[in-house]
Amino acid sequence: MPGVDNCLQEAMAIPGAIGASIVDYTTGFPVATTGAAPNADHEAAAAGTADVVQAATSRSLFVSAVPHDLLEDLIITTAGGYHLLRLVQTDFDSRLVLYLWLDRVHGNLAVARRRMQKLADELVAA
Amino acid sequence: MSPSKTAAPVRLLTQAAGERQTGALVVQGHPGGTVYLLEGLIMYAESVAAPGVGELLTASGRLAGRTWQAALDAGTSLAQVGHLLLEQGHLTRGELELCVLGAIYDAAYFALAAPGGPVEFLPGATHWLGPVIRVEPAAVTREARRRARLLDEIFPHPEVDVAPVTPVPRPPVERVTVTALQWELLVHADGQRTPADLALLLGRAGYATIQELRRLAAAGLIERPAPPAADQPDFVRLPGVHPTAVDARRPAAPADTPPVARPAPDPPRHALEPESSGSTGTVYRPPKLTRRKPGAKLPKDVGPNAPPLHTGTDEVLLKRIRTALRALR
Repeated sequence: MPGVDNCLQEAMAIPGAIGASIVDYTTGFPVATTGAAPNADHEAAAAGTADVVQAATSRSLFVSAVPHDLLEDLIITTAGGYHLLRLVQTDFDSRLVLYLWLDRVHGNLAVARRRMQKLADELVAA
Repeated sequence: MSPSKTAAPVRLLTQAAGERQTGALVVQGHPGGTVYLLEGLIMYAESVAAPGVGELLTASGRLAGRTWQAALDAGTSLAQVGHLLLEQGHLTRGELELCVLGAIYDAAYFALAAPGGPVEFLPGATHWLGPVIRVEPAAVTREARRRARLLDEIFPHPEVDVAPVTPVPRPPVERVTVTALQWELLVHADGQRTPADLALLLGRAGYATIQELRRLAAAGLIERPAPPAADQPDFVRLPGVHPTAVDARRPAAPADTPPVARPAPDPPRHALEPESSGSTGTVYRPPKLTRRKPGAKLPKDVGPNAPPLHTGTDEVLLKRIRTALRALR
Protein backbone atom coordinates (compact mmCIF):
# COMPACT_ATOMS: atom_id res chain seq x y z
CA MET A 1 0.00 0.00 0.00
CA PRO A 2 1.93 3.02 -1.23
CA GLY A 3 1.65 6.31 0.61
CA VAL A 4 2.04 9.76 -0.89
CA ASP A 5 5.84 9.87 -0.54
CA ASN A 6 6.18 6.37 -1.91
CA CYS A 7 4.03 7.27 -4.92
CA LEU A 8 6.21 10.28 -5.72
CA GLN A 9 9.37 8.20 -5.33
CA GLU A 10 8.04 5.71 -7.84
CA ALA A 11 7.10 8.52 -10.21
CA MET A 12 10.71 9.71 -10.04
CA ALA A 13 11.82 6.18 -10.96
CA ILE A 14 10.08 6.52 -14.35
CA PRO A 15 12.85 6.89 -16.98
CA GLY A 16 13.49 10.57 -17.74
CA ALA A 17 11.59 11.92 -14.72
CA ILE A 18 12.80 15.36 -13.57
CA GLY A 19 10.19 16.22 -10.93
CA ALA A 20 6.81 15.14 -9.62
CA SER A 21 4.08 16.49 -7.38
CA ILE A 22 0.51 16.00 -6.24
CA VAL A 23 -1.54 19.14 -6.78
CA ASP A 24 -4.92 20.25 -5.43
CA TYR A 25 -6.40 21.79 -8.55
CA THR A 26 -9.12 23.83 -6.85
CA THR A 27 -6.52 25.93 -5.09
CA GLY A 28 -3.43 25.28 -7.21
CA PHE A 29 -1.50 24.07 -4.18
CA PRO A 30 1.13 21.28 -4.24
CA VAL A 31 0.27 18.98 -1.31
CA ALA A 32 3.45 16.96 -1.95
CA THR A 33 6.48 17.53 -4.17
CA THR A 34 9.75 15.90 -5.11
CA GLY A 35 12.58 16.57 -7.54
CA ALA A 36 12.82 19.70 -9.66
CA ALA A 37 10.03 21.96 -10.87
CA PRO A 38 9.84 24.17 -13.94
CA ASN A 39 11.61 27.45 -13.03
CA ALA A 40 12.56 25.80 -9.72
CA ASP A 41 9.19 26.78 -8.29
CA HIS A 42 6.83 23.95 -7.30
CA GLU A 43 4.13 26.36 -6.15
CA ALA A 44 4.06 28.29 -9.42
CA ALA A 45 4.05 25.01 -11.34
CA ALA A 46 1.12 23.82 -9.23
CA ALA A 47 -0.83 26.99 -9.93
CA GLY A 48 -0.21 26.48 -13.65
CA THR A 49 -1.21 22.82 -13.40
CA ALA A 50 -4.47 23.86 -11.73
CA ASP A 51 -5.19 26.36 -14.49
CA VAL A 52 -4.72 23.71 -17.17
CA VAL A 53 -6.92 21.16 -15.39
CA GLN A 54 -9.63 23.76 -14.74
CA ALA A 55 -9.53 24.75 -18.40
CA ALA A 56 -10.03 21.14 -19.46
CA THR A 57 -12.73 20.28 -16.92
CA SER A 58 -14.83 23.40 -16.62
CA ARG A 59 -13.94 25.87 -19.34
CA SER A 60 -13.86 23.48 -22.26
CA LEU A 61 -16.68 21.14 -23.18
CA PHE A 62 -14.59 18.04 -23.96
CA VAL A 63 -15.42 16.34 -20.70
CA SER A 64 -19.13 17.03 -20.83
CA ALA A 65 -19.66 15.62 -24.33
CA VAL A 66 -20.87 12.24 -23.02
CA PRO A 67 -22.62 11.64 -19.67
CA HIS A 68 -20.30 10.20 -17.01
CA ASP A 69 -17.27 10.95 -19.15
CA LEU A 70 -14.19 11.60 -17.04
CA LEU A 71 -10.95 13.47 -17.58
CA GLU A 72 -8.10 10.98 -17.16
CA ASP A 73 -4.92 12.76 -18.11
CA LEU A 74 -3.47 15.75 -19.90
CA ILE A 75 -0.16 15.84 -21.72
CA ILE A 76 1.68 19.04 -22.54
CA THR A 77 4.58 18.65 -24.93
CA THR A 78 7.35 21.23 -25.11
CA ALA A 79 10.58 21.17 -27.10
CA GLY A 80 12.48 20.12 -23.99
CA GLY A 81 10.05 17.88 -22.17
CA TYR A 82 6.69 16.35 -21.44
CA HIS A 83 4.36 17.41 -18.66
CA LEU A 84 1.96 14.64 -17.63
CA LEU A 85 -1.08 15.45 -15.52
CA ARG A 86 -2.98 12.42 -14.25
CA LEU A 87 -6.18 12.94 -12.29
CA VAL A 88 -6.39 11.00 -9.03
CA GLN A 89 -9.94 9.74 -8.53
CA THR A 90 -10.69 9.41 -4.84
CA ASP A 91 -14.07 8.31 -3.50
CA PHE A 92 -14.04 11.06 -0.89
CA ASP A 93 -14.12 14.72 -1.87
CA SER A 94 -10.77 15.86 -3.25
CA ARG A 95 -9.58 17.40 -6.45
CA LEU A 96 -6.08 16.07 -6.98
CA VAL A 97 -3.80 15.61 -9.93
CA LEU A 98 -0.51 13.73 -10.12
CA TYR A 99 2.02 15.77 -12.08
CA LEU A 100 5.22 14.50 -13.70
CA TRP A 101 7.85 16.48 -15.56
CA LEU A 102 9.66 14.29 -18.05
CA ASP A 103 12.80 14.93 -20.06
CA ARG A 104 12.07 14.89 -23.79
CA VAL A 105 15.23 12.95 -24.72
CA HIS A 106 15.44 10.45 -21.87
CA GLY A 107 11.74 9.98 -21.34
CA ASN A 108 9.37 7.67 -23.13
CA LEU A 109 5.90 9.17 -23.21
CA ALA A 110 4.00 5.89 -23.66
CA VAL A 111 5.85 4.17 -20.84
CA ALA A 112 5.50 7.17 -18.55
CA ARG A 113 1.79 7.47 -19.23
CA ARG A 114 1.17 3.80 -18.39
CA ARG A 115 3.24 4.02 -15.21
CA MET A 116 1.44 7.19 -14.13
CA GLN A 117 -1.93 5.50 -14.64
CA LYS A 118 -0.81 2.59 -12.47
CA LEU A 119 0.57 4.91 -9.78
CA ALA A 120 -2.60 7.02 -9.60
CA ASP A 121 -4.76 3.90 -9.40
CA GLU A 122 -2.64 2.18 -6.76
CA LEU A 123 -2.51 5.29 -4.61
CA VAL A 124 -6.23 5.08 -3.87
CA ALA A 125 -7.26 1.51 -4.75
CA ALA A 126 -7.82 -0.93 -1.93
CA MET B 1 -9.66 38.81 7.18
CA SER B 2 -7.33 41.70 7.83
CA PRO B 3 -3.72 40.87 8.74
CA SER B 4 -4.07 42.21 12.28
CA LYS B 5 -6.73 39.62 13.08
CA THR B 6 -4.84 36.71 11.59
CA ALA B 7 -1.55 37.61 13.21
CA ALA B 8 -2.29 36.21 16.67
CA PRO B 9 -3.04 32.55 15.81
CA VAL B 10 -0.26 32.44 13.21
CA ARG B 11 2.28 33.98 15.60
CA LEU B 12 1.40 31.55 18.39
CA LEU B 13 1.53 28.62 15.95
CA THR B 14 4.92 29.69 14.61
CA GLN B 15 6.24 30.09 18.15
CA ALA B 16 4.98 26.66 19.28
CA ALA B 17 6.36 25.07 16.12
CA GLY B 18 9.71 26.77 16.65
CA GLU B 19 9.91 25.21 20.12
CA ARG B 20 8.97 21.82 18.61
CA GLN B 21 6.01 21.56 20.95
CA THR B 22 3.22 18.99 21.01
CA GLY B 23 -0.26 20.30 21.69
CA ALA B 24 -3.35 21.97 20.32
CA LEU B 25 -3.73 25.57 19.14
CA VAL B 26 -7.37 26.44 19.81
CA VAL B 27 -8.72 29.42 17.87
CA GLN B 28 -12.14 30.47 19.07
CA GLY B 29 -14.58 32.49 17.06
CA HIS B 30 -16.59 32.26 13.91
CA PRO B 31 -15.87 29.62 12.75
CA GLY B 32 -12.56 29.12 14.55
CA GLY B 33 -10.79 25.79 14.72
CA THR B 34 -8.04 23.73 16.30
CA VAL B 35 -4.60 22.92 14.92
CA TYR B 36 -2.78 19.94 16.45
CA LEU B 37 1.00 19.93 16.62
CA LEU B 38 3.19 16.90 17.10
CA GLU B 39 6.78 17.85 17.90
CA GLY B 40 6.45 21.12 16.01
CA LEU B 41 4.72 19.73 12.91
CA ILE B 42 1.01 19.89 12.14
CA MET B 43 -0.58 16.44 12.35
CA TYR B 44 -4.24 17.43 12.14
CA ALA B 45 -6.59 20.41 12.11
CA GLU B 46 -10.31 20.70 12.55
CA SER B 47 -12.99 23.36 12.30
CA VAL B 48 -16.78 23.34 12.38
CA ALA B 49 -16.73 24.87 8.89
CA ALA B 50 -14.61 22.06 7.43
CA PRO B 51 -15.77 18.42 7.34
CA GLY B 52 -13.25 16.22 9.14
CA VAL B 53 -11.74 12.98 7.92
CA GLY B 54 -14.67 10.97 9.30
CA GLU B 55 -17.30 13.12 7.60
CA LEU B 56 -15.39 13.12 4.30
CA LEU B 57 -15.03 9.34 4.31
CA THR B 58 -18.56 8.49 5.43
CA ALA B 59 -20.50 11.18 3.53
CA SER B 60 -18.89 10.00 0.28
CA GLY B 61 -19.73 6.39 1.07
CA ARG B 62 -16.05 5.43 1.06
CA LEU B 63 -16.46 4.02 4.57
CA ALA B 64 -19.68 2.74 6.09
CA GLY B 65 -20.70 4.71 9.17
CA ARG B 66 -20.42 1.49 11.15
CA THR B 67 -16.82 0.93 10.05
CA TRP B 68 -15.83 4.46 11.01
CA GLN B 69 -17.58 4.19 14.36
CA ALA B 70 -15.87 0.88 15.12
CA ALA B 71 -12.48 2.44 14.39
CA LEU B 72 -13.37 5.39 16.64
CA ASP B 73 -14.50 3.09 19.45
CA ALA B 74 -11.35 1.01 19.29
CA GLY B 75 -8.78 3.69 18.50
CA THR B 76 -9.86 6.92 20.20
CA SER B 77 -8.46 6.20 23.64
CA LEU B 78 -5.13 5.12 22.16
CA ALA B 79 -5.10 7.93 19.55
CA GLN B 80 -4.69 5.37 16.79
CA VAL B 81 -7.84 5.67 14.69
CA GLY B 82 -5.90 6.30 11.48
CA HIS B 83 -3.51 3.43 12.14
CA LEU B 84 -6.42 1.06 12.82
CA LEU B 85 -8.17 1.92 9.56
CA LEU B 86 -4.98 1.10 7.66
CA GLU B 87 -4.25 -2.05 9.63
CA GLN B 88 -7.74 -3.41 9.09
CA GLY B 89 -7.45 -2.70 5.37
CA HIS B 90 -10.37 -0.27 5.14
CA LEU B 91 -8.27 2.37 3.38
CA THR B 92 -5.01 2.50 1.49
CA ARG B 93 -2.24 4.58 2.99
CA GLY B 94 -2.45 6.91 0.00
CA GLU B 95 -6.16 7.52 0.52
CA LEU B 96 -5.80 8.21 4.22
CA GLU B 97 -2.81 10.49 3.74
CA LEU B 98 -4.51 12.48 0.99
CA CYS B 99 -7.72 12.71 3.00
CA VAL B 100 -5.88 13.94 6.11
CA LEU B 101 -3.78 16.38 4.07
CA GLY B 102 -6.92 17.82 2.51
CA ALA B 103 -8.64 18.08 5.89
CA ILE B 104 -5.62 19.80 7.47
CA TYR B 105 -5.36 22.53 4.85
CA ASP B 106 -9.13 22.94 4.76
CA ALA B 107 -9.59 23.34 8.52
CA ALA B 108 -6.40 25.39 8.89
CA TYR B 109 -7.80 27.97 6.49
CA PHE B 110 -10.81 28.51 8.78
CA ALA B 111 -8.73 28.43 11.96
CA LEU B 112 -5.95 30.73 10.76
CA ALA B 113 -7.22 32.99 7.98
CA ALA B 114 -10.83 33.70 8.90
CA PRO B 115 -11.46 36.37 11.54
CA GLY B 116 -10.94 34.69 14.86
CA GLY B 117 -11.40 35.31 18.54
CA PRO B 118 -9.19 34.38 21.49
CA VAL B 119 -6.35 31.95 20.86
CA GLU B 120 -4.71 29.58 23.30
CA PHE B 121 -2.19 26.75 23.12
CA LEU B 122 -2.88 23.59 25.11
CA PRO B 123 0.46 21.81 25.56
CA GLY B 124 0.39 18.05 25.39
CA ALA B 125 -3.03 17.73 23.75
CA THR B 126 -3.17 15.09 21.04
CA HIS B 127 -5.79 14.11 18.51
CA TRP B 128 -7.55 10.74 18.41
CA LEU B 129 -6.67 10.26 14.75
CA GLY B 130 -3.03 9.68 15.67
CA PRO B 131 -0.04 10.43 13.47
CA VAL B 132 -0.80 9.82 9.79
CA ILE B 133 1.14 12.56 8.04
CA ARG B 134 2.89 15.73 9.20
CA VAL B 135 3.08 19.13 7.55
CA GLU B 136 5.35 22.13 8.10
CA PRO B 137 3.34 24.87 9.87
CA ALA B 138 4.97 27.54 7.69
CA ALA B 139 3.56 25.88 4.54
CA VAL B 140 0.09 25.71 6.10
CA THR B 141 -0.01 29.34 7.24
CA ARG B 142 1.28 30.54 3.88
CA GLU B 143 -1.37 28.48 2.10
CA ALA B 144 -4.13 29.73 4.42
CA ARG B 145 -3.23 33.32 3.57
CA ARG B 146 -3.06 32.51 -0.13
CA ARG B 147 -6.52 30.90 0.01
CA ALA B 148 -7.99 34.01 1.62
CA ARG B 149 -6.51 36.07 -1.20
CA LEU B 150 -7.87 33.68 -3.87
CA LEU B 151 -11.39 34.09 -2.47
CA ASP B 152 -11.18 37.86 -2.61
CA GLU B 153 -10.00 37.66 -6.21
CA ILE B 154 -13.18 35.74 -7.06
CA PHE B 155 -15.62 38.01 -5.23
CA PRO B 156 -14.46 40.23 -2.35
CA HIS B 157 -17.43 39.78 -0.03
CA PRO B 158 -16.59 37.53 2.94
CA GLU B 159 -20.17 37.64 4.26
CA VAL B 160 -20.97 35.04 1.56
CA ASP B 161 -18.81 32.52 3.48
CA VAL B 162 -20.98 32.41 6.59
CA ALA B 163 -24.52 33.56 5.77
CA PRO B 164 -27.34 31.09 5.01
CA VAL B 165 -27.39 30.40 1.27
CA THR B 166 -30.44 31.46 -0.74
CA PRO B 167 -30.50 30.82 -4.49
CA VAL B 168 -32.05 33.66 -6.46
CA PRO B 169 -35.53 32.67 -7.63
CA ARG B 170 -34.83 33.91 -11.15
CA PRO B 171 -31.36 33.89 -12.74
CA PRO B 172 -30.10 37.28 -13.92
CA VAL B 173 -29.20 35.92 -17.37
CA GLU B 174 -30.96 33.77 -19.95
CA ARG B 175 -28.46 30.92 -19.94
CA VAL B 176 -26.64 29.61 -16.89
CA THR B 177 -23.63 27.26 -16.76
CA VAL B 178 -22.75 25.72 -13.41
CA THR B 179 -20.15 23.20 -12.27
CA ALA B 180 -21.21 19.92 -10.66
CA LEU B 181 -20.44 21.22 -7.16
CA GLN B 182 -22.31 24.47 -7.83
CA TRP B 183 -25.33 22.42 -8.87
CA GLU B 184 -25.17 20.36 -5.66
CA LEU B 185 -24.97 23.53 -3.60
CA LEU B 186 -27.90 25.19 -5.36
CA VAL B 187 -30.06 22.07 -5.06
CA HIS B 188 -29.41 21.77 -1.33
CA ALA B 189 -29.43 25.46 -0.42
CA ASP B 190 -32.77 26.24 1.19
CA GLY B 191 -32.28 29.70 2.63
CA GLN B 192 -31.53 28.18 6.04
CA ARG B 193 -28.36 26.14 5.60
CA THR B 194 -25.07 28.00 5.98
CA PRO B 195 -22.04 27.14 3.83
CA ALA B 196 -20.71 25.07 6.75
CA ASP B 197 -24.00 23.14 6.91
CA LEU B 198 -23.83 22.46 3.17
CA ALA B 199 -20.20 21.31 3.29
CA LEU B 200 -21.02 18.83 6.06
CA LEU B 201 -24.21 17.63 4.43
CA LEU B 202 -22.52 17.01 1.07
CA GLY B 203 -19.16 15.85 2.45
CA ARG B 204 -17.38 18.55 0.46
CA ALA B 205 -14.33 20.47 1.61
CA GLY B 206 -15.33 23.67 3.38
CA TYR B 207 -12.99 25.83 1.34
CA ALA B 208 -14.12 24.36 -1.99
CA THR B 209 -17.69 25.07 -0.89
CA ILE B 210 -17.17 28.74 -0.13
CA GLN B 211 -15.05 29.10 -3.25
CA GLU B 212 -17.99 27.94 -5.39
CA LEU B 213 -20.42 30.05 -3.35
CA ARG B 214 -18.35 33.17 -4.00
CA ARG B 215 -18.42 32.30 -7.71
CA LEU B 216 -22.19 31.81 -7.55
CA ALA B 217 -22.57 35.13 -5.74
CA ALA B 218 -20.37 36.84 -8.34
CA ALA B 219 -22.58 35.36 -11.08
CA GLY B 220 -25.71 36.61 -9.29
CA LEU B 221 -27.10 33.11 -8.77
CA ILE B 222 -27.34 33.31 -4.97
CA GLU B 223 -28.61 36.22 -2.92
CA ARG B 224 -26.00 38.63 -1.59
CA PRO B 225 -26.29 38.51 2.19
CA ALA B 226 -26.29 41.82 4.04
CA PRO B 227 -22.76 42.88 5.06
CA PRO B 228 -21.95 41.78 8.61
CA ALA B 229 -23.02 44.12 11.38
CA ALA B 230 -20.50 45.73 13.70
CA ASP B 231 -20.92 42.97 16.28
CA GLN B 232 -19.79 39.38 15.73
CA PRO B 233 -21.56 37.62 12.87
CA ASP B 234 -23.73 34.80 14.15
CA PHE B 235 -22.08 31.81 12.48
CA VAL B 236 -24.16 29.09 14.03
CA ARG B 237 -27.73 29.41 12.85
CA LEU B 238 -30.20 28.87 15.65
CA PRO B 239 -33.40 27.30 14.39
CA GLY B 240 -36.43 29.45 14.88
CA VAL B 241 -34.72 32.76 15.54
CA HIS B 242 -34.06 33.70 11.94
CA PRO B 243 -35.67 37.12 11.54
CA THR B 244 -37.37 36.33 8.25
CA ALA B 245 -38.43 32.80 9.13
CA VAL B 246 -42.10 32.08 9.59
CA ASP B 247 -43.95 29.11 10.93
CA ALA B 248 -44.99 26.84 8.11
CA ARG B 249 -48.05 25.82 10.05
CA ARG B 250 -49.33 29.36 9.65
CA PRO B 251 -48.24 30.17 6.10
CA ALA B 252 -50.49 33.22 5.79
CA ALA B 253 -49.08 35.08 8.79
CA PRO B 254 -49.71 38.64 7.58
CA ALA B 255 -47.20 40.36 9.84
CA ASP B 256 -44.26 38.55 8.27
CA THR B 257 -45.20 38.99 4.65
CA PRO B 258 -46.57 42.47 4.20
CA PRO B 259 -45.71 42.96 0.50
CA VAL B 260 -47.15 39.64 -0.61
CA ALA B 261 -50.90 39.94 -0.70
CA ARG B 262 -51.58 36.43 -1.96
CA PRO B 263 -53.33 34.29 0.62
CA ALA B 264 -51.35 31.07 0.08
CA PRO B 265 -48.07 31.70 -1.67
CA ASP B 266 -46.51 28.80 -3.50
CA PRO B 267 -42.95 28.77 -2.25
CA PRO B 268 -40.08 28.28 -4.69
CA ARG B 269 -38.62 24.83 -5.11
CA HIS B 270 -35.96 25.14 -2.43
CA ALA B 271 -38.50 26.06 0.20
CA LEU B 272 -40.63 23.00 -0.46
CA GLU B 273 -38.41 20.86 1.71
CA PRO B 274 -38.50 22.38 5.15
CA GLU B 275 -35.74 21.32 7.49
CA SER B 276 -36.62 19.56 10.63
CA SER B 277 -35.40 21.92 13.27
CA GLY B 278 -35.88 20.24 16.57
CA SER B 279 -38.64 21.15 18.94
CA THR B 280 -39.36 24.57 17.49
CA GLY B 281 -41.27 23.19 14.51
CA THR B 282 -40.74 23.57 10.82
CA VAL B 283 -39.65 26.90 9.42
CA TYR B 284 -38.95 28.26 6.00
CA ARG B 285 -38.14 31.61 4.47
CA PRO B 286 -41.02 33.28 2.75
CA PRO B 287 -40.47 33.33 -0.99
CA LYS B 288 -39.63 36.61 -2.66
CA LEU B 289 -40.96 35.79 -6.12
CA THR B 290 -44.05 33.69 -5.85
CA ARG B 291 -46.10 32.49 -8.74
CA ARG B 292 -48.87 29.99 -8.49
CA LYS B 293 -51.18 28.85 -11.22
CA PRO B 294 -54.81 29.59 -10.44
CA GLY B 295 -56.45 26.60 -8.82
CA ALA B 296 -53.19 24.89 -7.94
CA LYS B 297 -53.20 23.20 -4.58
CA LEU B 298 -50.94 24.08 -1.73
CA PRO B 299 -48.06 21.59 -1.63
CA LYS B 300 -48.46 18.85 0.94
CA ASP B 301 -45.24 19.75 2.69
CA VAL B 302 -46.55 23.15 3.69
CA GLY B 303 -49.75 21.70 5.06
CA PRO B 304 -50.47 21.20 8.74
CA ASN B 305 -48.84 17.75 8.91
CA ALA B 306 -45.53 18.57 7.33
CA PRO B 307 -43.35 15.46 7.49
CA PRO B 308 -39.85 16.03 8.83
CA LEU B 309 -37.59 15.90 5.81
CA HIS B 310 -33.83 16.39 5.52
CA THR B 311 -32.55 15.23 8.81
CA GLY B 312 -29.10 14.99 7.24
CA THR B 313 -27.70 18.13 8.82
CA ASP B 314 -28.86 17.12 12.27
CA GLU B 315 -27.40 13.64 11.91
CA VAL B 316 -24.06 15.04 10.88
CA LEU B 317 -24.13 17.48 13.77
CA LEU B 318 -24.96 14.73 16.25
CA LYS B 319 -22.15 12.60 14.88
CA ARG B 320 -19.70 15.46 15.37
CA ILE B 321 -20.86 16.04 18.92
CA ARG B 322 -20.47 12.34 19.68
CA THR B 323 -16.99 12.34 18.14
CA ALA B 324 -16.01 15.40 20.16
CA LEU B 325 -17.25 13.84 23.39
CA ARG B 326 -15.27 10.70 22.74
CA ALA B 327 -12.14 12.73 22.18
CA LEU B 328 -12.53 14.20 25.67
CA ARG B 329 -12.35 10.83 27.39
